[in-house]
Amino acid sequence: MRTPTYLVTLRYAAAIFVTAVFMFPIFWWTLTSIKPTNAIFNKDEVVWFDFEPTLINYRVTVMGESPSALTGGSTGSGTTMGTGGENSFDGRRTIVDSIIIAVGSTIFTIIVAVGAAYALSRMTFRGNQAYLNWVLSYRFMPPIAIIVPLVFMFRDLGLRDTHLGIILVHSLINLPIAVLLLKSFLDDIPKDVDQAAMIDGATRWQSFRLVVLPMIKGGIAATAVLCFVFSWTEFLLSLFLTSEIRTLPVKITTFVTSTGSEWGFIAALGTSAMIPSFIFILLVQRHLVRGLTMGAIKD
Amino acid sequence: MSFKNHQRQQFIIDTANAYTKRKISKRDFLRKMGLAGVGFSAFGMGMLGGHSRGKGLQLGNMAHAAGHSDMNEWLREVGKPFAGTTIRYTSEATPPTVVANELKGEFEELTGIKIEIEIVPLEQVLAKATQDVQGQLGTYDLYYLDQAWHATFFPDTVDPVEYSQEKPELAMPGFDYDDFSAPLVEGISKIGDKWVGIPFDIPIFTFMYRRDILEKHGIAVPKTYDEFTTAVKLITEAEKENGIFGTGLQAKSGHYSLECDWSQAVWGHGGSIFRADGTFSGNDEQGIMGLEWYQELLANAPASSLESTWDGQWQMMHSGQVAMVQSWDEFFPGMDGDDSPVKGLWEMTAPLQGPHTLRDRSAAGFGEIPDWGHQGGSSIALSRYSKNIDAAWLFMQWVCSKEMMVRLTLGGGFAPMRNSSFADPRVLEKARVGAGTTRHLPVVLDTIENYIASEPDMPLWAGLSSNEIPTELGKLLTGQEYGGDAKACMDAIAKIVDTQTAEAGLR
Amino acid sequence: MTDTMASPSENSRSKTRGEGKFWTMPRWLTSEHSFPWIFPATATLIVFGLYPIIYSVWLSLNRRHPVTRENEWNPAWNWSRVFADERVWDAISVTYMYTFVAITIQLALGLGIALLLDSDRKGFGLMRALMTLPLVVPPAVTGMMFLLMYNNSFGVISRTLQSIGLLDPAKPLLSSHETALWAVMVADIWQWTPFMVLIMMAGLRALPKDPFEAAAIDGANALQAFRRLTLPMLSKIIAIAVLIRGIDLFRVYDYVKVMTDSGPGTATETLTAYSGTIYFKSANFPYASAVAILTLVLVIITANIFIKVFKVRF
Repeated sequence: MRTPTYLVTLRYAAAIFVTAVFMFPIFWWTLTSIKPTNAIFNKDEVVWFDFEPTLINYRVTVMGESPSALTGGSTGSGTTMGTGGENSFDGRRTIVDSIIIAVGSTIFTIIVAVGAAYALSRMTFRGNQAYLNWVLSYRFMPPIAIIVPLVFMFRDLGLRDTHLGIILVHSLINLPIAVLLLKSFLDDIPKDVDQAAMIDGATRWQSFRLVVLPMIKGGIAATAVLCFVFSWTEFLLSLFLTSEIRTLPVKITTFVTSTGSEWGFIAALGTSAMIPSFIFILLVQRHLVRGLTMGAIKD
Repeated sequence: MSFKNHQRQQFIIDTANAYTKRKISKRDFLRKMGLAGVGFSAFGMGMLGGHSRGKGLQLGNMAHAAGHSDMNEWLREVGKPFAGTTIRYTSEATPPTVVANELKGEFEELTGIKIEIEIVPLEQVLAKATQDVQGQLGTYDLYYLDQAWHATFFPDTVDPVEYSQEKPELAMPGFDYDDFSAPLVEGISKIGDKWVGIPFDIPIFTFMYRRDILEKHGIAVPKTYDEFTTAVKLITEAEKENGIFGTGLQAKSGHYSLECDWSQAVWGHGGSIFRADGTFSGNDEQGIMGLEWYQELLANAPASSLESTWDGQWQMMHSGQVAMVQSWDEFFPGMDGDDSPVKGLWEMTAPLQGPHTLRDRSAAGFGEIPDWGHQGGSSIALSRYSKNIDAAWLFMQWVCSKEMMVRLTLGGGFAPMRNSSFADPRVLEKARVGAGTTRHLPVVLDTIENYIASEPDMPLWAGLSSNEIPTELGKLLTGQEYGGDAKACMDAIAKIVDTQTAEAGLR
Repeated sequence: MTDTMASPSENSRSKTRGEGKFWTMPRWLTSEHSFPWIFPATATLIVFGLYPIIYSVWLSLNRRHPVTRENEWNPAWNWSRVFADERVWDAISVTYMYTFVAITIQLALGLGIALLLDSDRKGFGLMRALMTLPLVVPPAVTGMMFLLMYNNSFGVISRTLQSIGLLDPAKPLLSSHETALWAVMVADIWQWTPFMVLIMMAGLRALPKDPFEAAAIDGANALQAFRRLTLPMLSKIIAIAVLIRGIDLFRVYDYVKVMTDSGPGTATETLTAYSGTIYFKSANFPYASAVAILTLVLVIITANIFIKVFKVRF
């Protein structure tokens, strides 16, 4: 059966239109990041392409160059006069902190979640289903409900303003969804496979490590990427449990100042912040698309 | 520095100090300053032509300052035992903080004490500081306290004056508390006799206008609320084609900035926020008049005023969208920046006054001071829960020292807290159009000295001023509730506020 | 506890392995038992999730005195206020409204776009990849992005709508109570429709081919096939997707906070936003906790009703 050409064309047109609509904010954001302030805020017209592109915003936020040295001491607002000293808009340390936290919490989440998912998928213990529901119910929790207790707890445990503290909290946020996803990947593997290994004399641990684990590598990668993205983009908890350590969303909101926000810097660091997660998502997209059925389509 | 220069500087300082203590009249003050070459008009206008400085800020560097190396020596000596400790404080991204963050390396080098300044938006500063005192966490060694919160944090800080007497060995020689502008200390930092902190930032309402636009329409610079309203309407009408409005406001619903605008409107019409008995008085005749005036103003301002905080208002001024603004003096230096479309076009003068008379402060409650110039100052304060209190104390003295005050001002062009800084030759030298200008500072000083107003000092104020009051005002201004009826809105606020103060046992 | 899969042979094997050692590992510590598998996850959830929640509940049963700042035990104080507080009721209706409308649009768009892009023709792979891009933007940054585009004087969206007469320049999108909630929702929809697309794509890809071929032979058109086959077979995954996304929508915070700060007035004040306001601005932790706990209770009730009605199983 061949689809008529006009339908194909129509489908292309519709698909391109939809994609363009969804790309527009990012396109605009990227464009903003290379605009001088006058082109971002122009009272007479919305400036599209009629401006002198500048990399200053990137050089300040990502390369850590001093704003004053680059602009002769006057970027948008009075606050960024710069004194040649520390650059408050330098995002380099933040990027490192964000990477440590996102990678750390991803690894921790996966290790912890894969165990629980394995037990849920392969073992029948009392309250199996109830346990799954209990794990998933943490997804219900509004982060705002746990901030105050966490602040006090972190003080007592010495976790405040540490990478480890945020890693653990992000793991808490990610665990429910990670367990659910990994369980669905595990359910996809026929039980005969690892049972056969165990009948051949392997312990459960051995059969898990040598037989099951290699088979869900793709699923783990997909789950890991989702965890990474959630941690990379989380805002509220990172904000209140850290002061010196900064994640990217938190740092970016600090560019709003009492005498004019640095929209150019916000856009530049915001654009840069998308890149790593996007690459990761592309790498695992195939597995992600399979895993997100979450075991719902099997029968 | 030549002797002559030094003499002149000293003369200016003495004059300013004398004035602060009200030993001489304003007229004398202006005359003497004029003698010293600090002609107020010369400040702004004289330099308009020659602003081709282009690149590079002449920031004070260390070699500049007389007596500065003494301070460094002292710090190096006294800081020794504290090398390796880390001092933290959290602050809004206000100009002094941003600049202090850039300069802190010098202090770290001298003392080996590491400084971490956590910069977050205003309300997060409040939340984080509150968390800290609530749990007595000692996360922060220093607090950045907005004037609206002083009463709340009153028990949690160490009085700096007392502390310097208690530990004379750690008191910076020549720190000179009397050098701090007296009205500032009174309005921002002191509760009763206690210094909650040291004044660190003083954004204050002044009147700013576009010289060129007023001239174009032959409008004299407005002096009173009525003249201002007339001028706003005129310009909005006449400049419709050009997309220019008479004024812009910071009227974002639920934000402290709206509360600031509103309280100035109330004071300016002879009202006050509280009565002497502690009940809310925004719904009395003068209060309603003020709010109705504000509604009228809003109708003649860009609609984006409704979505603007100080940040948005700054943007309106900077992009040339508005002609006049009664708002924070700290906006001013950015207008003169090299990439500014309105470079050299904004001028500053004292805040609007009259035709109504101010309510006497004895008729207002909770230490509220109704006046023409709303101030949003803040202090830097020493936390009682700090584990490194002495190291923090050294930093606090350093950052508030005479030399640093000057350099912070030079870095951002905002008003200093010390009389001596206003008169520093480096500050005077920058009084010309250009990035980080200081040409507006004489007006700021005048406003601080003569028109400073202050919001109430009471523990509930932090919440009321940033939540209940601006939220209900937002409902009124955007038409969500009250059908444009200012009285209905104020009555609702009165009910909320009075319930809270009664429950707290404050009246 | 019993492991059905622990066969007799395994048990005897572990016994023999234990012989000759000084200490035999208790069975519940071996990999044959579920304990070691679920312990780390359970511990993390209890310590960083359950304990803080219990603490919050306790906090909500205290009254914070605004002057002394002491918390005193007074279980009725906050809870009687929660139910008498008009802003709580407003927030509840805003929250349900936001959740319901946003989930409907995201689901419809997600399914539609997934069907549209589910093709092996040239270029569709690239478009599918690009569609995931919104997912990687931090929500707080998304909020700022839309804040800039919505700006009544300078923003590209507002200015464009104004120039074609669709928007009254005197009514800023985010500062008019008629439009603010919808404008915030657009940001949410922009960011999370791609997530729905991914899930729906996953569902579509996992569908068996045979029924469709049979239907085609029977002469069913595309629409019939979609209604009779695709939709029923996708129903389970749709239910799960709606549940997961719906929970997130119910707790929406970042967009509201960054874009409107609950305003204008209380037009966009969701429950979490209100809780945040009390927490951040009034520093009344016990009352903020009460509102947050109320939110949690409502999520649990709503989600469970949904699970029952739509028979969601994981």
